[in-house]
Amino acid sequence: MNELRELARKLLTDGEVRVIIGWESARRGARPMFVTEPDGADGLIFDARCVHNLVTYLNPRRDHVAELGKIGLVIKGCDAKAVAGLLREAQLTRDDVVLIGVRCGGVLEENELPEAVALTRENVAPRCYGCDNREPTLVDHLLGEPQPEPPQPAVTIEERVAALDAQPLQERWAFWTGQFSKCVRCYACRQVCPLCVCERCVAERTQPQWIESSPHARGNLSWNITRALHLAGRCVDCGECERFCPVGIPLTLVNRKLQQIVAERYDYKVGEDPEIHAPIGDYRLDDEQEFIK
Amino acid sequence: MTDVTDTGAAAPQRYFISEADLRALAADLLGAGTDVIAPVSVDACQSPSALATAACLRPGVAPVDVEYKAIGDAAELDLGRDLPVLSLKQFFLPDHEALCRWHQRGLEVTVEEVPTTFAPRVVLAAKPCDSAALAVVDAVMNWDYKDELWNGRREASTIFNLACPVIDESCFCTAVGSAPDDVKGADGLLTPVEGGYVVETTTEKGRALVAAHPARFEAAGDPAMVGRIRQTQAERAGARSRVAANLEIDAESVRDWIATHFEDPLLASLAIRCNGCGACSSVCPTCHCFDIVDEEEGVGRGTRRRCWDTCQAPTFTLHASGHNPRDDQHVRYRQRINHKFSIYPLKFGEVLCTGCGRCTRVCHAGQDLVEILGAIDIAARRPGEAAAAAGAAAPGDVEAAS
Repeated sequence: MNELRELARKLLTDGEVRVIIGWESARRGARPMFVTEPDGADGLIFDARCVHNLVTYLNPRRDHVAELGKIGLVIKGCDAKAVAGLLREAQLTRDDVVLIGVRCGGVLEENELPEAVALTRENVAPRCYGCDNREPTLVDHLLGEPQPEPPQPAVTIEERVAALDAQPLQERWAFWTGQFSKCVRCYACRQVCPLCVCERCVAERTQPQWIESSPHARGNLSWNITRALHLAGRCVDCGECERFCPVGIPLTLVNRKLQQIVAERYDYKVGEDPEIHAPIGDYRLDDEQEFIK
Repeated sequence: MTDVTDTGAAAPQRYFISEADLRALAADLLGAGTDVIAPVSVDACQSPSALATAACLRPGVAPVDVEYKAIGDAAELDLGRDLPVLSLKQFFLPDHEALCRWHQRGLEVTVEEVPTTFAPRVVLAAKPCDSAALAVVDAVMNWDYKDELWNGRREASTIFNLACPVIDESCFCTAVGSAPDDVKGADGLLTPVEGGYVVETTTEKGRALVAAHPARFEAAGDPAMVGRIRQTQAERAGARSRVAANLEIDAESVRDWIATHFEDPLLASLAIRCNGCGACSSVCPTCHCFDIVDEEEGVGRGTRRRCWDTCQAPTFTLHASGHNPRDDQHVRYRQRINHKFSIYPLKFGEVLCTGCGRCTRVCHAGQDLVEILGAIDIAARRPGEAAAAAGAAAPGDVEAAS
């Protein structure tokens, strides 16, 4: 932690960055922190409560963050995938940001705690299972000690997806229509997503209206399917959409299922190399095209 | 507290109802064809399948939510006093509703109106912050334009609140003129006591409901009422002091300070960590802005609907010209605070917030209204301390540099 604070202080003092975006411990647990003065760096923390994917603040839609000047961003290994996503899609210039990587051994599913607690099978964020990047890549500075593998969660996301897959079609339909019926179309899932970069979302187009804006069954299905498909092969599995959903729709299950399909069909897994294009932004002559009749 | 000296013997508006009778009352109403809206424990997975339920469950996340629902059976009524995820607003201003339907054949267009009168319905065990919000929003719904759909639903509804034990550290109803035992916007209050509830009726509608079901209520003449009323007083006073400890502000000073400090760095840089997602507006009992959309539902026919909208979305103020007067999140967030705590109170005399705390609980980016109001209150009342407090408040230390 001291290492992080000292580095942040130095970067601000030297004028290498104008703002450090990291985490702080606040009244209701850990939350994003924006430090612009060297002395403010003492408020920075990093522990298992630092769930937030702060890469969302590099999203080009965030004018009010960009205004602050050059950003020094603290990232975990998984967050580096979102940085790679922005670089891959030309939404970010690497030199415009200083990346401070922190080694991470997993985060908590429920992070609104006064202080971090030890990770267990019950409290670990399920997406940490099988983590392949406890040490972030792409970074300018790498901090912290090497971390052990996060514990395996009591129920993995794969097991939950498999449980759904095992259901007959009608049952799955009932499950998802039930889930999507809860949607109030606040678009929190989109707003918090580091990869939802469209300046004008298709959901906001009215001439023509592609997606009905009313939160009725039809409109909600259109929206949720469009959101998921537009992130197929782009989603970095940070789970922020599900975490921010005020009505508790398990969006991670949709995202993970799509990852499985993309892996199967295109042999592609979202990674930290910005040079490898995602299938949605790539064209190859040997792409399967059997769906074109 | 009202009526603290009242022993109940001569209080025609106070009754006792046992829990069994409260459920029986719900059953009576349902039997008579009256809709009953009440908190219900909902399977968060919303699927009958046990396997799909397992798929939905996440470690560390409660498998059930409490939601206001139109109940089908009195047994569903959840008297656990948890806070429903969405407020009662949805039954007065639904997240989407038809305003009219159109049919076009050639050049001929016919418009089908929607009904604006509603069958009588009863809300049981409403949260006091939710009923109070309805009364606050009544003002704007009856300002230059009378909103027939809102008013129709308000007139059709009889609401009994259930005194709230205070949910957590994000509750602040007493700081904005409400209370955990408020009857504002409601027709009566239930306060839990041993074996049931003390019922107070505060409006004609409330009294009419009791009068229509005399068998379910024990009148105040019962000698046991003295003890019960004492119990409610302790319960209500305890809840009030617990919530007051979360936040105390002078709402009038806050109102006036905001009105005169539009460009103040504190007010102009509140939203640095805000994602602009609008979840706060969705769960808010007082946010009432809506968008009107025409949705085609086939050739030559469609429905005009209104849907919840939010001032946190850039499109909320996007002009047809392409200009957007609220073009960044700081400005949009300031609007939210300004509208709730200054514009609305100056126009209608009431704060557009009842302190339910849902916006704070739902914000995983950490926008914390308790903290923000505390900082504004200090700026308004003790300007000397404002700079120090602001550092710890919502904008982090950003305003120091801006």
